[in-house]
Amino acid sequence: MTCRELFERLSEYVDGELSQEICEEIRHHMEGCDPCVAFARTLKTTAELCRRLPSQPIPPEVAADLRAALAGHLSKRK
Amino acid sequence: MPPQDEHALIEASRAGDPAAVEGLVRSHQGRVYGFAMRMCRNVEDAKDILQETFLGMLRSIKEFRGESKFTTWLYRIASNACLKKRRRGVFEPEPEQELSLDDLMPRPGSDGRKPEIADWSEDAERALLRGELTAQMEAAIDRLPREYKIVLVLRDVEGFSAEETAEMLKLSVPAVKSRLHRARVFVRRELAGYFQDQQKA
Repeated sequence: MTCRELFERLSEYVDGELSQEICEEIRHHMEGCDPCVAFARTLKTTAELCRRLPSQPIPPEVAADLRAALAGHLSKRK
Repeated sequence: MPPQDEHALIEASRAGDPAAVEGLVRSHQGRVYGFAMRMCRNVEDAKDILQETFLGMLRSIKEFRGESKFTTWLYRIASNACLKKRRRGVFEPEPEQELSLDDLMPRPGSDGRKPEIADWSEDAERALLRGELTAQMEAAIDRLPREYKIVLVLRDVEGFSAEETAEMLKLSVPAVKSRLHRARVFVRRELAGYFQDQQKA
């Protein structure tokens, strides 16, 4: 396996979606290739950091406007 | 919410029960708003997307058959609304821009040796605790073309599976995986630039 072939499959690798056979090939390649190890580790970190991003809470006036829009729709249906 | 409670709310909402509609809205509005804000970075647009999503829910809830999860079905409406929004200003990347793996792959040195790749995974943890990394991450995600950004946001930020994301965006699972990989590699490259600058400073 070349660096390029490994590079193409790294997200599937860090997500645990590859067969055991391909995982073995990847690990074998990484034993002798520090750049691929560093790339894989930082790619995995990138995905994990995304999961920890804080989300914006809904402002009360946005929630109120949504209620008004939905009430308008429901009353039209009757 | 336990699935049987949600199921009861969906059934009652179909019959037009306002209290049931309110129950569904209350349990999903926060998450949908957070998703819309991340996609368009603008309160007015997020508000529109939120309204389009729940009005769309009211219009088509009769057609919801429970073959997919309710959240997946709702996010499909929300994702459509996000992708339809007009681009704001010239700084937002072109939505149809393609990210190529050849361009994103680290280049070998001019002497043909392997590229040097720094492992900043542990620095990232410290930077996150110091509160420095969130803005960098947000900015990097915003530089993604929209069709890649939405895949990364659904998969890595919101935590949906590749199958759920594919259903929301009407894409194949391999297409979701391919876009996710390009988007992650892009964001990784932006963060690598940030850590490199930090080290120089």
